[in-house]
Amino acid sequence: MTDFAGLEPIAMDFSGAGGGRERALALLLLSMADDEFVIGFSDSEWTGIGPILEEDVAISSLAQDELGHAQALYRLFVDVVADGRDADAVAYDRPPDGYIHARLLDHPRGDWAWTIARRWLYETADAARLAALAETSYEPLRQLVDKLRREERYHEMHVDAWLERLAGGGAEPRRRLEAALTAMGPDAGTVLAPLPGELALVRHGILAEPFAAIEARWRAVTSTRLIGLGLAALPPTTDPDHARSGHSDAFRVLHADFTMVRRSEVGATW
Amino acid sequence: MTDPLALDPVLPARERSQLPFNDDALDHDERYRHFEEHVTAGGKVEATDWMPDEYRTQVLRFVEMHANSELMGVLPEREWIMRAPTLRRKLALTAKVQDEVGHAQLLYRVAEDLGKPRDAMIEDLLDGKTKFHNVFHYPTFSWADIGIIAWLVDAAAIVAQQALRDSSYAPYARTMKKICWEESVHIMHGRDVVVTMVTGTATQRGAIQEALDRWWGPLMQMHGPRSDRAKDRDIHWKIKAKTSEELRQEFLGIYVPRIRELGLTLPDPALRLDEAAGEWRYTEPDWNELRTVVTNHGPKSEERLQFRRDNWAATQWVRDAILRAPRSAA
Amino acid sequence: MGEAAGAVDAIEPAGVLEPWEVFRREKDGDPMRHGGSVMAPDATLALHYAREMYSRRQESVHLWVVRRADIHDLADLDLLQPPLDRSFKKPGGYVMRDKLAAARQVSGQAKPKANKGAR
Repeated sequence: MTDFAGLEPIAMDFSGAGGGRERALALLLLSMADDEFVIGFSDSEWTGIGPILEEDVAISSLAQDELGHAQALYRLFVDVVADGRDADAVAYDRPPDGYIHARLLDHPRGDWAWTIARRWLYETADAARLAALAETSYEPLRQLVDKLRREERYHEMHVDAWLERLAGGGAEPRRRLEAALTAMGPDAGTVLAPLPGELALVRHGILAEPFAAIEARWRAVTSTRLIGLGLAALPPTTDPDHARSGHSDAFRVLHADFTMVRRSEVGATW
Repeated sequence: MTDPLALDPVLPARERSQLPFNDDALDHDERYRHFEEHVTAGGKVEATDWMPDEYRTQVLRFVEMHANSELMGVLPEREWIMRAPTLRRKLALTAKVQDEVGHAQLLYRVAEDLGKPRDAMIEDLLDGKTKFHNVFHYPTFSWADIGIIAWLVDAAAIVAQQALRDSSYAPYARTMKKICWEESVHIMHGRDVVVTMVTGTATQRGAIQEALDRWWGPLMQMHGPRSDRAKDRDIHWKIKAKTSEELRQEFLGIYVPRIRELGLTLPDPALRLDEAAGEWRYTEPDWNELRTVVTNHGPKSEERLQFRRDNWAATQWVRDAILRAPRSAA
Repeated sequence: MGEAAGAVDAIEPAGVLEPWEVFRREKDGDPMRHGGSVMAPDATLALHYAREMYSRRQESVHLWVVRRADIHDLADLDLLQPPLDRSFKKPGGYVMRDKLAAARQVSGQAKPKANKGAR
């Protein structure tokens, strides 16, 4: 794990990421963990202000699930990099540019239609990614993916039920949903953008196939569903080379908030 | 004030049991007498039973305020969900706030079955026509507040809620059992936050003491002024079992020693256990402050209500969307 | 849950949020018991919400939701209390103590001890 040390704790240097198995694996784990971490934060903003009380409780569970997934993935990451940090230190103690979540998740919470659109785009992409990891040769990840897929199944059912209701719920819900899909559609594919070193992952049997192939399959499935609901298919990904870097102001605001208590007393136990 | 709708039972009369007050053939006064006899002897009332207007109104008012408090109680802690300092704390706090929303759901369901629609209750809350507990009108300044709220505000609440598990209104009593079961976790989470900070850095410890000093006044006021047991209609109808002072004494009895064992001090020099009387003595709480605060003139009352109004308005289209039906004009 | 969600798609949205009664099994072997209710526009969301409200701490192993309006109850509770003797339907309706004592006297046998040992 020597070549990884130089990259931390500042931003990942994508252009320098080589073909080492460990390094590529660490990058994969961190990208997945950051995705779950950031969407978990955005969704947890709904706790207490959901559109109906029952739904408020439901979206909060989803947020907790995502954060639980992030925690489990950060733990796998710290085992791989073994640089003395724990999962919390990785989750909280990086500068904003050190996070490598997909650009799709950089969008702020927005209204309920944005939340549903973002969740639907993310959940479907994540499901495709997890499917490509179901038989991974990295045993700790295989065991975790098995559990994640069991929980994500409910997430997909929940968000798809809402997608359908917004698409068919009258003029205003449909307009809001379409606006959200139009704004986030070009970023949806960033979840499945190629990762540096992914060929090493495929070669070592960690990932079933390159992300381009996973993305193509995901696009076919999502397009069928969207067109079936009378919605537009997703546009191609904008600027795929910066799919996980150059984060938005919305994320910087979020970062300032979620590190606030921790920064107030550095090194303290909470 | 009670909505007139509250006087109409929402469940059909044919589902009523055969208790004498359910007999339509009797006149009102006779039914009232049978009902009072049943309840004062420890009998339970179901949503489908006949009940006097006074009882229905009284239970509704009580449960509605409890539900409002759960819903508004979400807000002070919610602000800190985004700032929780570790993954585990973030998960625990999110789950706690989620439980409070869940409790609001359970309680509004009980109230809805008494005849007042949920939308009407939320609108009355937002319009300031109904109340919520004093402690949720105050600001939170630090992570230490989150520990103190989850530990001591929840502890004071659970003391009251445990005494409601035997309420004469059976749907409320059943709900209280579920709520108490879930809330016991919150106290553990809060106490863990407090103990962790008290054993942490000097700054952390100072933050806990400072938060405790600020929350002690509202905590002492939370159960309300002493009342005359004989004149308390909630007690007469066995909606609740204990007076304000009984609840406060119980809270002090359990929690003052637990606070002091952490080396924390309480900001009331008069606070002591009178061993002979078996009662806690304390400086009289500021009842004017309580009255000011619960009538929505507390430090955060208006801001929190406005936050709720804004969010309620902003999500109206979602509620409309899932009903797929045109909404009648207000 | 997938099966249930598929089966309920046929039910049309009600047009109002209405109460759905939730029944839950706490552990294998227990009967389904009434848990409470949720407000939902249709069965799919009612099931999602029942799961959240009555099993987010894994306190149920099985859940049903039933639209409250679809519950039928017995209108006349008097029918549950038949006025005439039904003691022949219950064990307590058979009192043999005196007759058994007389039979033992005739046979000369003592009252047998309860046999709790292995046979």
